[in-house]
Amino acid sequence: MSVTVRFKFMRTGPVRYLGHLDMLRYFQKAVMKAELDAKYTEGFHPHQIMSFAYPLGVGMETYGDYMDLEMNACDDAEALMDRLNAVMHEGIKVTGAVILREKALNAMAAVAEADYELAVADEGASDTDSGAAQKVLCDAISELMSKVEITGGKSAKNIRPGIRTLECKNDSGNELRLVMRLSSGSKLNVRPADVFEKLCETEAVIESGMKFKVTHLYRMEIYGNDKDGRIVALNDKTAE
Amino acid sequence: MDFSNRQTALDHEILMSIDKPSRYTGGEPGSVMKDDADIRFVICFPDVYEIGMSHIGMQILYGMFNSWQDVWCERLFSPWMDLDKIMREKKIPLFSLESQQPVKSADFLGITLQYEMCYTNILQIFELSGIKFYSSERVEDEPIVIGGGPCVYNPEPIADFFDIFYIGEGEVRYRELFDLYKKCRYEGRSRKEFLREASHIEGIYVPSLYEVTYDENGRFADMVPMYEDVPARVKKQLVKNMDEAFYPTSPVVPFIRATQDRAVIEVQRGCIRNCRFCQAGQIYKPVRERSPEQLKELAREILKNTGYEELSLSSLSTSDYTHLKELLDYLMEYCGEKKINISLPSLRIDAFSLDVMGKVQDIKKSSLTFAPEAGSQRMRDVINKGLTEEDILHGSEMAFKGGWNKVKLYFMLGLPFEEESDAVAIAELCNKVAGVYFDTVPKSERQGSVQITASSSFFVPKPFTAFQWAEMNTPEQFVEKAKITKAAVRAQLNQKRISYHYHDSGTTIIEGIFARGDRKVAKAVEYAYKHGAIFDAWTETFSYEGWIKAFEETGVNYKDYIYRVRDDEEKFPWDFIDSGVSKKFLLREWHNAAAAKKSTDCRKQCMGCGAGVFGCGVCVE
Repeated sequence: MSVTVRFKFMRTGPVRYLGHLDMLRYFQKAVMKAELDAKYTEGFHPHQIMSFAYPLGVGMETYGDYMDLEMNACDDAEALMDRLNAVMHEGIKVTGAVILREKALNAMAAVAEADYELAVADEGASDTDSGAAQKVLCDAISELMSKVEITGGKSAKNIRPGIRTLECKNDSGNELRLVMRLSSGSKLNVRPADVFEKLCETEAVIESGMKFKVTHLYRMEIYGNDKDGRIVALNDKTAE
Repeated sequence: MDFSNRQTALDHEILMSIDKPSRYTGGEPGSVMKDDADIRFVICFPDVYEIGMSHIGMQILYGMFNSWQDVWCERLFSPWMDLDKIMREKKIPLFSLESQQPVKSADFLGITLQYEMCYTNILQIFELSGIKFYSSERVEDEPIVIGGGPCVYNPEPIADFFDIFYIGEGEVRYRELFDLYKKCRYEGRSRKEFLREASHIEGIYVPSLYEVTYDENGRFADMVPMYEDVPARVKKQLVKNMDEAFYPTSPVVPFIRATQDRAVIEVQRGCIRNCRFCQAGQIYKPVRERSPEQLKELAREILKNTGYEELSLSSLSTSDYTHLKELLDYLMEYCGEKKINISLPSLRIDAFSLDVMGKVQDIKKSSLTFAPEAGSQRMRDVINKGLTEEDILHGSEMAFKGGWNKVKLYFMLGLPFEEESDAVAIAELCNKVAGVYFDTVPKSERQGSVQITASSSFFVPKPFTAFQWAEMNTPEQFVEKAKITKAAVRAQLNQKRISYHYHDSGTTIIEGIFARGDRKVAKAVEYAYKHGAIFDAWTETFSYEGWIKAFEETGVNYKDYIYRVRDDEEKFPWDFIDSGVSKKFLLREWHNAAAAKKSTDCRKQCMGCGAGVFGCGVCVE
């Protein structure tokens, strides 16, 4: 018998430059240090049964990523979270833990959509007039979202249906943020970098002469579906 | 303290444009942040992060320094070529990993010298940091540059680049050095005055305080202190009681995969074997063991603090550790419960080690390694490698019967007194090992066939060995010998089961020059660096022709360092170091080698090498 526990975690600061495999190794060590009753594979080189919802790219911060761990037994997921946090290191923190229903999809298969925020700046401007830049980006968004088909990028797929929402915000001082919800997972996977690239190719941006760059990349949340196809956070009790 | 908002020295754009950016961002578990230390010490391994982070010596000093409240030790590695280029273009000063602050603002820059081929990387570190190359040109606000590690047993080729060399094991004298530094700073003394005072500490060598003379042929003649209070000889420092020495139980655990990605316990230091080619065997004398009780505790602590899933036992020759069985019995049980692997490098192949390896390692994946070093028994007697053909064949037989079918064999070519037949003997030995497989494993029990992988490196004579008088082969001779071995392999009955590789000869020659060169070599290192030499330990960046040109352009008669047998009476640039092991003993061993006469090991019988003066370890057992 075993149970799967789904941990939600955040990663901020310099630790964002780790690759996906480094994160996996980091969490494996954390499980060892916290002495969790993790289940191991059989055979000569037993290892923990751990999987991530969505590999974190190098350079990306996250406030809502998920890791599944198979345990021999567990009746208090929150207690496990506390034990993991006691051995966490700068910038990585577990923010939630739930025991999965027996027939729940594994984290990776469950992923349907994800929220991103991209901090962007106009490369040319020394002290960015964020008002002007924001206007250009808002026009670019309208232009992009009015299209029925957007192709290009790595796969030849039309990514337009995968851009669920896309806005430009200016919350904190001069920093401009592109806030977006994108389809993720095996059916249609849209990467924030693809959306950014397409925005930069709009007439609005080209005509403005501005040259935008991404200065910060955040994943805010990952979603799955409930049994009726509604979008719910991946650690929601009703997630498939 | 929470350091998650630590600012990185490199901005997001740069970090996203280079390979493995987390080489440069620090913050790993086990790394130490401080904000109120008197002394900032940057410890540098002049190669890439993954290699440097695998080095246990650096972890020991890092842990020990940071255990002192008044010292903050930070790490530094060589930026790879991609970042090197960006830092030059954008004029970004080189920074230490922890604080991400410029290296130049540190009090000390300590560089560990583990192999000679890192010498140009030292100049890269200086240049990117804005520190002057030559000790004589440095000014008050530049860090004191210290070198340590095995290469300091002949520091002369790079002596002009360093303010201080620390001769011996770092655990012993750094506290004294730091206290002196604080005192000098408090009293407002100059850099020069501090260095002069430091030279009075045992084991501390300040090259600028010595004058080197050369004879009419330009050969090293003598080196004498310029002042009466500076000692003529510098004494190697060593830990007398290993159980009392600092050992890090919370080492820095890299995020990215290091070359050695596991917990390490050092079971003993030194070696009893007296192989005549081996420098480590002499400079770490006498062998000193840790108690099994302490090792068990260290293993538990380190595994608990790091979360590593593999534990490695480190030493020059782990089979010689007298409590090995007790230790392994304990570790196998402890690690077995926790699903932790045990790796056992440098074990001799015998019934005991095969039994242990069968228990702890994946039989399907692992291959067995023998290091006969030479193919013929005569050559193994010359180098005093106490491994007989029978040991190898019998060990192979046991291994084959135990289910192994891959064997790796390590050899050297270009050894002193070597003849063509010795190169052929390498092939013959490989053939015999393969033959053992066919003779002892019945057809019905064979899983796949036997695979022998033989590789040979080219021999480099090192200071403080019996072969410090020896002549090196030229690149042409090296390659010639390797071709003889290769052809001989092809002529063997079991040749299809044997694959043979040999190392690059050019690197070997340059290493040989650095190993036994004198102070004049520094100019050539500078020239080579300024003409593009860097990461010379990496084949993709190494240029033999570039180096030869550097020696020629700077008037360094490099051939004289390597292509001649040195006179018994010749004075060596490294003679000023008192390593405990006497030159008389080494000379006796050199003559024994010439006569192909074997010597013993330290446990069987004392050979009177001189290391007994330290009054510790095997010498007093």
